[in-house]
Order: sequence, then structure tokens, then C-alpha cells
Amino acid sequence: MSSPAMQVRSRLPRIASGAIERARLTVVPRRRTKAKRMPFIALVSLVLLGGVVGLLLFNTSMQQASFMASNLEDQATTLAARQQGLQMELDQLRDPQRIAGQAQKLGMVQACTPAFIQLGTGKVTGDPCAGTAADAVRINPLPPTKPADIDPQPNVVVVQPPAGSGQSGQGASNKSNSGDTTGAGNRAQGGRDGKNNQ
Amino acid sequence: MPPTQPQPRGSRRGSPQLRLRIGFLVIAMVLSVFGARLVQLQGLDPNSYAAMAAAEGLVEVDLPATRGDILDRNGKPLADSVDGLMVVADPELTTEHAPELARLLYRRLHVDYVSTLAKLREEGSRFEYIARRVPATKATEVVAAAEKAGYDGLDTRQDPLRDYPAGDVAANLVGFMGTDEPLAGFERTFDDQLSGTDGSARYEVGGGARIPLGESTITEPVNGKDLTTTLDLDLQWYTQRVLRQTVEDARADSGFAIVMDRQTGEILALADDPTYDASEPDQADKDNLGSRAMQDVYEPGSVEKVLTISSLMDLGLVTPRTKIVVPPALVREDSPIHDWFAHGTIHLTLAGVIAKSSNIGTVLAADHFKQGQLYDYLRQFGLGEKTDIGVRGETQGLLPARSSWTHQMQDRIAFGQSLSVNGVQMAAAINAIANGGVRIDPSLIEGSATTDDGDQVGTDHTTEHRVVSEKAATEMSRMMERVVDPEVGVAPGAAIPGYRVAGKTGTAQAVGAECSCYDGSFDVSFAGFAPADDPRFTVYVVVKNPRNGGGGGSVAGPAFKKIMSYALRRYGVPPTGTQPSRLPVDW
Repeated sequence: MSSPAMQVRSRLPRIASGAIERARLTVVPRRRTKAKRMPFIALVSLVLLGGVVGLLLFNTSMQQASFMASNLEDQATTLAARQQGLQMELDQLRDPQRIAGQAQKLGMVQACTPAFIQLGTGKVTGDPCAGTAADAVRINPLPPTKPADIDPQPNVVVVQPPAGSGQSGQGASNKSNSGDTTGAGNRAQGGRDGKNNQ
Repeated sequence: MPPTQPQPRGSRRGSPQLRLRIGFLVIAMVLSVFGARLVQLQGLDPNSYAAMAAAEGLVEVDLPATRGDILDRNGKPLADSVDGLMVVADPELTTEHAPELARLLYRRLHVDYVSTLAKLREEGSRFEYIARRVPATKATEVVAAAEKAGYDGLDTRQDPLRDYPAGDVAANLVGFMGTDEPLAGFERTFDDQLSGTDGSARYEVGGGARIPLGESTITEPVNGKDLTTTLDLDLQWYTQRVLRQTVEDARADSGFAIVMDRQTGEILALADDPTYDASEPDQADKDNLGSRAMQDVYEPGSVEKVLTISSLMDLGLVTPRTKIVVPPALVREDSPIHDWFAHGTIHLTLAGVIAKSSNIGTVLAADHFKQGQLYDYLRQFGLGEKTDIGVRGETQGLLPARSSWTHQMQDRIAFGQSLSVNGVQMAAAINAIANGGVRIDPSLIEGSATTDDGDQVGTDHTTEHRVVSEKAATEMSRMMERVVDPEVGVAPGAAIPGYRVAGKTGTAQAVGAECSCYDGSFDVSFAGFAPADDPRFTVYVVVKNPRNGGGGGSVAGPAFKKIMSYALRRYGVPPTGTQPSRLPVDW
């Protein structure tokens, strides 16, 4: 009889007969050592707890950072707007029109001719001259000319001061004072008109 | 199986078979409803519900691109963008305290009290504009102040603000913005470059702060690019003020003045008068919004003689000392030609013809031209062709076509009538003489920029070409110096003591808008450069229809002097210290 088992058995010794000797199965006595459960449970719950708390803290800090980011962004926007506002103010302050107005208020005029002084030698090139009011450039437009109907010729009435007593003289001078004021106003207007028509 | 349970209960429930069937039927119906709903949700419109869910707490904001600035050559802003806000009101909330709110808004924002009050009380509305384009800091302050005082219903929205810090300075070139789009000038021409692309941001918000892990997409805005011009803000301002004074004092219709850098052809100032305030364009006269220097044609008059005479000298046909006998009047085919001043028969040199601005002398000299030569030279000088410096609606002027030239026409063109130009064309032509006979394309934009027509303009694209020889240009310049000579010239008012100044006056009959004929009005002008032997600037001043009886020498000359003096001083150009031209003017 040559069953397959026989064939195996007959082949095995050739390969590892020693190993089969050694690998003969025996029943291992059951070890009944009981692992302590407590540390393991403690560890797992610690990890779990740590994870939950950590996640919570992480989330909270993220929220915190988000709030902070929002705040800082708001602040940046405000500051940028402020910077632009200041820049705008600066541009208005250095507007040549404004500077010229300030300078003219101080009585300054444009130089009449360009001239240069060499600082090393003190030599003057050009043809310097003193600035006069005639050199001033008008920086504001003339007021619009009004039609004659709106801006009539001033009606100046010259009132002779009556020679009288102090009491009546006082009254007369009061009157002429008020007359003068309006008269001056009219004259000023007339004068401006005259300039327009030059 | 027969029921084994006691009769009463079982019979009431009916047979289990039946119950089961009914039960299954009910379950099947319910499940098919669920199924249908599932198909509806997932198959038919899967996104709308997701979107609805996401929209809860989702904020979407526009991130407006900052509009590029328009700068002068030194980086000072002619137009800049400021973070602006609009103040809006919800009348449903503001009605209650409308008078107090209106007073607060009137005081803080200078809005009209009455109309604001009406807006705050508008019935049935939940959104009203109170003020637009308010600087951000101011707007938030006002809203905060209102909230502090216990008045609800005010809010702010993004509303970028365009600021023109220098007001009317270069307004005719820079243009202005409408509510949302550019309406004129560089703002419109170079809008593509200036405007940039708006961005947007979507993010989820909870309790006023961004949710850290929520959805968040940001498309960053692409800000507009700045546009740098060749203008000099301070010089432009001064030029405008001098021009306005000149126009006002002469009771003229309008005027313009151009300052050009001789070497580069860059325009340092281009002033128009009357002008307008770019911050308040709606209050301006419509006619004043454009640039008359570029958009209106006019006949240049005697300034053009410079081009005629230098062309003749380039051809070698005349010299500054060529002797000319000038009769009191020159009778040509159609009408007699006169000079601006009455005289008998006088003996002038060609230099004298320029110094005294004699039409007759110029026509006699121009007789040396062969047919078409003057036309070719004028084209070379850039007349009859747009300068393309980036100003909208530029006119190309009217230089009669070569084929249509008659002898009489050439006579008139020789002294600057019967042809029309725009201001910058003429300034560039005079600059060619200042630049030793080489014409440089004028430019107004630093570097390169693309107009809305797709043209590339700017200093990167300028070319130069020789028009007349250096000798002809130098001689022309020496002849022009005699124009400002107090003894022999017609424009002593344009002389700058200590400097050599070359210039030419112009007084031209103007074509009226109504009759398209010479209506008796005049355009007076003065073009010149200094220092004459090494020019730094070319200045051209034109005043249209002065009513004080002045001519080019007395009206435009002094304006030229003031502008040129300022430019020389500002750029630190010392006098050359050489002897001025002493060319004889008569014989």
C-alpha cells in the first residue's frame, strides 16, 4: 500500500528527521497568571481623558486665536483707514494752493527773476532784483462780475456836517458815521468792479 | 394554522396573515415615500439644501481692489484712493429719532439737514443712502457716535473714495470718477490699468468671529497699478495760476499753457483755463471738463513763422541776414496781405522779419519754396498728425492736403493762418528748434501705458527725428532772441533779465464757432525757450480772444516770462552767461 501519508512519512526523514523529533507536540500546562486589569483601564481612560481635554483645549485656543485674528484684522483695517485719512490730510496740507495762500498771508511774493548764488565763491549769477507786490501771482479767481442790475453803482451822498451845538453835533456825527460805513462798503464794491473792467 | 389563543382578542385583531400584509403594505408605502424623498434630495436638487445649510452663518464679502493712484513725476498724488465707506440708514429704526440723527449727521458729515431728515423718515423703506464716499475713519466715528447716543439704524458699507488732493491742478488731464465708473481724462483712458480686479471672501461666522475650521475661501483682490505722469505738480499749479490771471486780466475766453522739457519732450505742465475742481465735477461747466489744448483746433498765427523760416534756412535758401524789402502791403491774387503794424516800405533782414513779426516779409521769403516743400516740412514738424500722448479726443489739426495747396494758401500758411493745430503739436514743433532741429515726440505718461483704444503711450514709446539741420535751428534760435529785445523786438515783456530767451509771438485771426469764418476775434500766443544757447524748457502760452486789445507780446509774453522764470528757478537752471544775439534787424 502506498498511501500518500506513507509517501510523506518516507520523504520527511530525508528533509528534516531531526526537526520532527524536536517538534513532537506536548501539552503545555495552562498558565493561570491573571494580568492586572487596573493599570490598563487607567491608562486607556487617561489617554481618553487626555485626548478629550486636549482636544477641548486645542479647540478653545483655536477659537481664541480666531477671535484674536478677527480683532487684529479689525484693528488693521481701522489703522489702515486712519493712515489713509492722515495721508489725505497730509496731501491737503501740502497742496501748493494752500502753501501759496499761507505764504501770501505772510506777505511773501514770487521772486521777480531767477538768480543763483554759488555758495563756495559767493558769486551771483542771474540778475537778482527785489520782489514787489507787482510780482505776486493771483492765486484765487476773481469774483464773478455781477450784472449791473444786481450790482448798481454806489449812490454816495455827501452830507455836510451841520455846524451846531455839541449835542446836535453828536447826533449828526453818529448819523454820518453810519452813512460812512455803508458808503465805504459801496465804494469797496465799486472799486472791485472797476478793477474787473480794467 | 388555526388560532390557539382565546377567541375574543384574536378575533378582534383579525388574522395574522392579514395583519402582516397590511403591516408590510404600510411599511412599503412609508419606505417608498422615504425613497422618493431620497431621490428628490440626492438626485434631483442635491445642492440647494446643502447650500441652505451652509448659508446658515456663512458670510460673503467683496474685497474691493484699491484703485491705482495717478501721480506726478515726483510721486505726489494727483488722484489717490482712500478707504471710503457709505453711511446708510434703515428708516424703520431711524424714524423715531430722526431729527436728532439728522442734526448729528448734518454736523458731522455736512449733509443737507432737510433731505436727510426725509430719508430717515422714509416710509416702507429699509435702506437709504445718507452719505457716500466718506473717509472710513469719519464714517465709523459717526456711526459709533450715533450708537452711543442710543440711536440705532445707521450702518456703513464699503464705498471706495477717490480723492483729488490738489483740486483743480491738472484736472483737465486727470479727469474724474462718477459714482461707480470713470467719466473723463486719464481715469477713463487708463481705467484697465488703474482699476484692478475685485476679490471676494467667504467664511463661516459664529458669534462675530470667524469659525476656525469652517469653510473659508478667499480670492485676493488684484489692486490697480499706479499711473505716473510726467507732470510736475507744483509747476502745473503755478502755470495754472499764472494762466488764470492772464486770461482774467485780458478778459479772454480761454487759454492754455504748456511747459515741455526740451531734452526729453516730457510735458511738465499742461494747463487749461477755465478749468474745474476734480472733486466737484458736477458743479463745473461741461465745456471746461476736457483739455482745450488738445481738443480744440486754432490757427497758430505768427508762431508758425518759426517753422517756415527754419525750413527755408534748412534748404539753404535764406540766412538771418537775407535782406528783404517790405512794402506797406503785399497784393497777391485774392487779397492784400498786411502787417500788424502800419509802415511804409521798410528794409528788414530776415532776423528783423522775425523780430518785428512781419507777415509780408515772411511771405516774400516763403516764395523761395518749391511746390510742396513747406507742406513736407510742416508734416516733419508733426503738424496735421495726432501726438498720441494719451489725452482723450485729441484733434489732429487741419493741415490742408498737399494736393489742395494753392499759392495763396501757402502765403497764408507761411505766417500761420489757414492751418489749424492743437497746442501740444505746436509746442513740440517749437521744441524741435530748441532741440537743435530734432523733433522729439511729446509725452505725458512716464514709462508705458495702454489706452482704452489699445494704443501704447508714454516715454518708452517716444521717437525722435531730425527736421532741420542743427545750423538752421541755431540760427533760428538766434533770430528768435531778437523778439524779446527791448529795442528791436515786439515782446520785451517776455524777456527774463540775466537769461538769454528765444521766443516768438503770435496773434492770429480766430475762426468763430458760429460762422466758421474769421469773426474779428484774435488768439494771441507766445512760444519760446530758455536759456537760448542751451535750452532747458520750451514754454507755449495761448490766450484765446483777449478783449483788452493786447497781442501776443503783451498778453502771452509776460505769462511766458513768469512760467519760464519759475521753471528755471525750480529746476535750478543758471544763466549761461554768454552774450545774447546781436543779429541786425534792418539794413
